[in-house]
Amino acid sequence: MIVIGEKINGAIPSVGEAIARRDEEFIRNLVGRQVEVGIDYLDVCAGTSADKELEALNWLIDIAQSETDTPLCIDSPNVRIIKDVWPRVKKCGLINSVSGEGEKCEVIFPLIKDTEWKVIALTCDSEGIPETAKQKIKIADELIKKAAEYNIDASRIFIDPLVLSLAAVNDCMLTFMESVREIKKLHPTVNTVSGLSNISYGMPYRKIVNQNFLTLALSAGMDAAIIDPEKRDLIASMYATEALLHRDKHCCKYGKAFRQNKFGPVKEK
Amino acid sequence: MDFKKLKVAISEMDEEVAMEMINEVVETKGDAAAAMAACQEGMAIVGDMFERGEYFVGDLIFAGELMGDAMEALHPLMSSDSAENLGKIILCTVAGDIHDIGKNIVKSIMAAGGFEVIDLGVDVAPEDIVKTAKENVVKIIGLSGILTLAIDSMKATVEAFKAEGMRDDVHIILGGNPVTDETCKECGADAWSTNPQEGVAICRDWALS
Repeated sequence: MIVIGEKINGAIPSVGEAIARRDEEFIRNLVGRQVEVGIDYLDVCAGTSADKELEALNWLIDIAQSETDTPLCIDSPNVRIIKDVWPRVKKCGLINSVSGEGEKCEVIFPLIKDTEWKVIALTCDSEGIPETAKQKIKIADELIKKAAEYNIDASRIFIDPLVLSLAAVNDCMLTFMESVREIKKLHPTVNTVSGLSNISYGMPYRKIVNQNFLTLALSAGMDAAIIDPEKRDLIASMYATEALLHRDKHCCKYGKAFRQNKFGPVKEK
Repeated sequence: MDFKKLKVAISEMDEEVAMEMINEVVETKGDAAAAMAACQEGMAIVGDMFERGEYFVGDLIFAGELMGDAMEALHPLMSSDSAENLGKIILCTVAGDIHDIGKNIVKSIMAAGGFEVIDLGVDVAPEDIVKTAKENVVKIIGLSGILTLAIDSMKATVEAFKAEGMRDDVHIILGGNPVTDETCKECGADAWSTNPQEGVAICRDWALS
């Protein structure tokens, strides 16, 4: 599984405060801890009000790049901001995100077309988030085709079928799994991705729902997830599921991660 | 009929018992107003339980749906003056945001509480809200959002009412995760809440004032 570390996000209160007071040490530490567990991309999201976002995101990017070589996942609801910070990023990473909404694709696709950048594409449009798999698949297909017009191969796209909240939409997991399967059937080289927290919104003891979501989503073919790599139980679920799905020869990756103290009872270093 | 039992059934989301009792009221042309009052009391218990952290979002949604079914069944029996009518309210998720679970919960509780809800959906532009308020003479506006950028849209919506010279004609209430006392002041709204029961109480006070 491709792991996108989610902790550098101003929407998390303690991080938002650290960004507001420009606490470089705090951010540096948060970058370092995630990289240590092992992540493929480091998500960077300012989560501030619109007028402060550009400056905050630039600041975060500079710190992250000075701390690690891990590619960044540039995260903003505003594609104009992504475009503005983009030249600052040294290593090709991941853009989070475009969708069928407004001008998002038209701003981002020309920017990354002759590069190795990858992009997360959400299956929503100006009508909102569709509830049915059929609509999600349709939007995904349109986004992949639109990217192809810019010579962006499906393998550079991460489709997020936007799982809804289980307490509100009771069949949302089934819809999500169907979407992942069908999108990959239509475009075998495309990647699929999801965040983990939407599913358990409004439920008690959310971590158990999130963990089981990860397992079911991976079994449906999901390739990547935006997670908190410091959640040891979640990391354990990830390694166990990969082994169960025949993606870990003789379970050596599982064993190695355990030896490295990435999950299981906390060992003194 | 034991309306207390109906109240308890609603408060515990016992769909079978509640709808059986409601249907009995409908079939026997019983006291629909008393049944409605019992449902509303049951719903208030659900709101309290949610506030105390004993009920969860799913419980609120289920109770809201149950309440909707009950109201639909009882409606034909109610004479227009027996049901409390608190007037119209506009609800929507503001521009740039598409999260609507909270908005939908509030909608069902507002409807259960006697409001006629005009639901404009998600990602609604300020000018559409103002236009709807003007055309339908709506005095209470509920704005919802979860994203940080929703705050900017809430502010823009309040500004749009000012620009139309309608700010003093309407009450504006904000709801959703990022909303606080501070953001409410910053947006220039009249009130805020992240608790549906409290939100309804605030709007009720406005409607009756």
